[in-house]
Amino acid sequence: MDKDTFRRLELLNQLKLTETEKADAFAFFGSREKERLALDKIDTSSVERMVHVMPIMTVVREDVAVQKFSREALQQGAPETDEGYWCVPRVVE
Amino acid sequence: MKYETVIGLEVHVELATESKIFCSCSAHSYGSEPNEHVCPACCGMPGMLPVVNKRVVDFGMKAGMMLNCHINRVTTFDKKSYYYPDLPAAYQTTQWFAPVAVNGLVEIETSKGKKNVRIKQIHMEEDAGKLVHDIREDTTHVDFNRTSVPLIEIVSQPDLSSAEEVEVYLDRLKNLLRFAKVAECEMAHGTMRCDVNLSVRPEGSDKYGVRTEMKNMNSIEAIKRAIEYETARHIDAIENGTEVLVQETRRWDDIKGKSYAMRTKETAGDYRYFPDPNVMPVVIDDEWFDSIQDSLPEFPEVKRDRYINEYGLSEYDADQITKSIALCECFEEAYSVCKSAKDAANWIISEIMSILNKRMITYDMLKINAHALGELILLVSDGKVGRANAKKVLSDMFDDLTIDPLKYCEANGYIVSNDTGLVEKVVAEAIANDPKAVADYKGGKEKALMSIYGKCMKELKGNCDPQMLRTILIDAINKI
Ligand SMILES: [Zn+2]
Repeated sequence: MDKDTFRRLELLNQLKLTETEKADAFAFFGSREKERLALDKIDTSSVERMVHVMPIMTVVREDVAVQKFSREALQQGAPETDEGYWCVPRVVE
Repeated sequence: MKYETVIGLEVHVELATESKIFCSCSAHSYGSEPNEHVCPACCGMPGMLPVVNKRVVDFGMKAGMMLNCHINRVTTFDKKSYYYPDLPAAYQTTQWFAPVAVNGLVEIETSKGKKNVRIKQIHMEEDAGKLVHDIREDTTHVDFNRTSVPLIEIVSQPDLSSAEEVEVYLDRLKNLLRFAKVAECEMAHGTMRCDVNLSVRPEGSDKYGVRTEMKNMNSIEAIKRAIEYETARHIDAIENGTEVLVQETRRWDDIKGKSYAMRTKETAGDYRYFPDPNVMPVVIDDEWFDSIQDSLPEFPEVKRDRYINEYGLSEYDADQITKSIALCECFEEAYSVCKSAKDAANWIISEIMSILNKRMITYDMLKINAHALGELILLVSDGKVGRANAKKVLSDMFDDLTIDPLKYCEANGYIVSNDTGLVEKVVAEAIANDPKAVADYKGGKEKALMSIYGKCMKELKGNCDPQMLRTILIDAINKI
């Protein structure tokens, strides 16, 4: 991993690391990179693609609309509500 | 140098289901109070598990089949992480690694001929909530009614090269998805939205230029203007070095007619896609697959050809009716009653479509008792009700689906009278009142006859067989 990618991940995850932590994390990712390269060398072309690690499938439900929860109950834990809305610090694009 | 525009589209379509994709909340929030259709699952509360709505998968498959895609029989959901208040869980559940449908093909026809647009994939996903910024200055208000409403995203390959092609392609998608009844696809209602990826390159080149993306376009006119603007901007940058093009997301301001840079385009890695551990793979067995395939509608062009070959409609009439599945259904039902395809088509094209246009209702929103329409057509072709009065009945039938045409015409005095005595009396009066028109007609002016005819018909309140009135009128004049 290069420094730029590392910096990007740091920003993306909203992390602020000290220089020591950075060096540790960088070394950690570097060692994982070696493993990845080793895995890449294995020929898997004849292996059927695995779409999921577990051999199980989902259940589906019928398309029926039911309202089981009230807005009031759901908003009990909200720091602030107004006219039925949740309120959050203003976001401006 | 000549340039060509290279365009790929990502089209988001809201599926016409009753409930949301992963919970049982209603998917219809139009006209609702904020946060009326919410539950812990679609509000992203910890510990809540999603349960897949079967109809979303049905519709995803159906859309895929309509667009000639390969259906992935094992299809999985993935998490796409981003942090924004319209997304309560801080990730969107979507499909990244094994979308429901891949490798499709849509044929379009423009003024330059036919062309295939390749479909990269169709994936199922949940919509985000709505943010309201103008209630108060200090906060943003959040409404989760739309959160988890099911969408499909149809991703095309960069096979489009003009605003015209984009328009035709979007129309084609709409038509196909509406025929399959999986979605309304109405940009004005927000049930179809579009991201436009565009780049420009020298004609004939096989390398792509720098690509920009315009997100959330919601009108075809705006899309066309945006494509023209962006194409010109790219060419200007390449030819005159007016700016350095960068890969980015831009916002289209339709009022100013300009696009603006938004933020540098996230690469896929930024969203940290990974398999959603809360939703197990959806496995589509043969039975399920076949049931969807069996439920596919007749394709619009197959219907069109059938209307021409089987029912003897003109190409124009067949084209008009197959613009919308609702018109087709109305036509087929009315025809089954009145047994005249020509009459049924005629009433739909000249009367129903014009009423819809006048009332600014899209063809697909047509709600009429088509069986009753067939009966009304019969009343007219049997000479029992005059056409002008039948039009009035039709207009009332839009407002009241329970109208029985025969009873309604009887109640309103619209039944044509066979009373020749009455008609002769009205004709005699009309002739006496307008000697000039009579003289004009006798002098060879055909039009003058129509004027007396019109007055008679008005006097008879439209309740007269046109042929009978004409015969009696001409006889009476000839006797003078
Ligand atoms: Zn819900």
